[in-house]
Amino acid sequence: MSEETVRETTEPRELDVANVRAVRVGHGANCSSVGSVIDTLFLGAVVGGAVFAAVCAAMKVEPVTVVGQNRDAEDAPDDGGDP
Amino acid sequence: MIVRYEPWGAWVKTETIPALVALDRDGVRALGLDGGRAWRPGAEATPSPPIEVHLAVTSRCAAGCEGCYLDARPDGVEPPAETIERAFDALAKAGVFTVAFGGGEPTLRDDLGDLARAARARGLSPVVTTSGLGLGARKLEQLKSFAQVNVSYDGSSEAYESVRGFDGAAAAESAIAKLAGTGVVVGVNVVLTRDTFERTKETIRRAASLGATEVQLLRYKPQGRARALDYLAKRLSPEQARGVGPLLRELAAEHEGRVRIRIDCALVPFLSADADLASRPEELARWGVLGCEAGDLLCATRVDGRVAPCSFTAPTELRVEDLAKGWAKEPGLAPYRSYSSAPAEPCASCTLRKVCKGGCKVVSEYANGTIGPDPECPRVREHAAGAGQAQASGA
Repeated sequence: MSEETVRETTEPRELDVANVRAVRVGHGANCSSVGSVIDTLFLGAVVGGAVFAAVCAAMKVEPVTVVGQNRDAEDAPDDGGDP
Repeated sequence: MIVRYEPWGAWVKTETIPALVALDRDGVRALGLDGGRAWRPGAEATPSPPIEVHLAVTSRCAAGCEGCYLDARPDGVEPPAETIERAFDALAKAGVFTVAFGGGEPTLRDDLGDLARAARARGLSPVVTTSGLGLGARKLEQLKSFAQVNVSYDGSSEAYESVRGFDGAAAAESAIAKLAGTGVVVGVNVVLTRDTFERTKETIRRAASLGATEVQLLRYKPQGRARALDYLAKRLSPEQARGVGPLLRELAAEHEGRVRIRIDCALVPFLSADADLASRPEELARWGVLGCEAGDLLCATRVDGRVAPCSFTAPTELRVEDLAKGWAKEPGLAPYRSYSSAPAEPCASCTLRKVCKGGCKVVSEYANGTIGPDPECPRVREHAAGAGQAQASGA
């Protein structure tokens, strides 16, 4: 996995639900068109809030792997404009 | 978790809870990370790589579904494993999160389980769609390597046959039960046509009783063998299209906490007819509902390695091996992106515009020969009817 940067952050992560712009729940497994969970739109605010809080809790503790061409701005070679 | 920086923050894929989260810059900083080059001024002008890629691992399929969008056949092509693994390398390099195996019938490959593990080894989440036909113990074992397996299931015999031209319902039902019984996360793909729509609730109840925990509702699309006049008779009626929102509400209430309900990108424009949903675009966006993301957050690759904006569109000249480097500049992707970012009326003034992105471009291209407002969208239909009346009264 040479394309990835792995960081085990040890400092407490003060992540807030307000920092979450969007959540796509689950994997989905359709091979022809992109699918989106829709039943969450009909959940009450309490249940919906619990989902957002749960993903925040996960992000506070899971080890971090950074992927993609933007993975490390300072170290990545400039390949001609594709960030 | 896996993080991919974006100009607005980062995509974060969590592992303990399967979810893809869009996190703003402050949130990313709170994780002890910095977007660096992705956060520099001007970075937002460059299209980000897709988050999900639909990969055709074979074009072989013996099912012969009448509406197959790829016109898959028994004598189709099966790329060698090395070719597919190189594609995985390219997807991982670009920062793709999910690779959806499709075809053709993926389970016809003897090395399917190995390929799923190869994808996982590169940090990708492999998922797969299967007809479920001929699902024996060996194939079942292979499917355990996937994060989720969806079985194509359009309903009981009559409904199934109305979509695919043969009755494969029993095989699909058997596959759902076997997969669920072995602990595989299993969902079903249900194609909504004029015939299947009225039976959707019954279909989902049946799938749930067999162990399916997710349902993805799919719009029937005019591509491959479905790109024929027959399409006009099979697509949802205008009344049914307007009924999608209420149907979703009923399904969510009936299956809350037991079966997750998904819709595909092409069904999003139909939500414009639902006053409640159309008034809540921010909530749709917050729950990650995606309309047409062809050539944007989504792309597809054919068995020959060419990249297409989505599974239903013609391939471009870009090859999957060059995805990271060529994604931003491939001219064949540009029309899809440009229309989504600046659609014509009545999309331009639609509350759902930023989520829907102008509706299904495959349908508009089929109907009008060009990318434009989705002609089956209830709002577009009303707009067209109003324009027609104005023209008539003016004449």
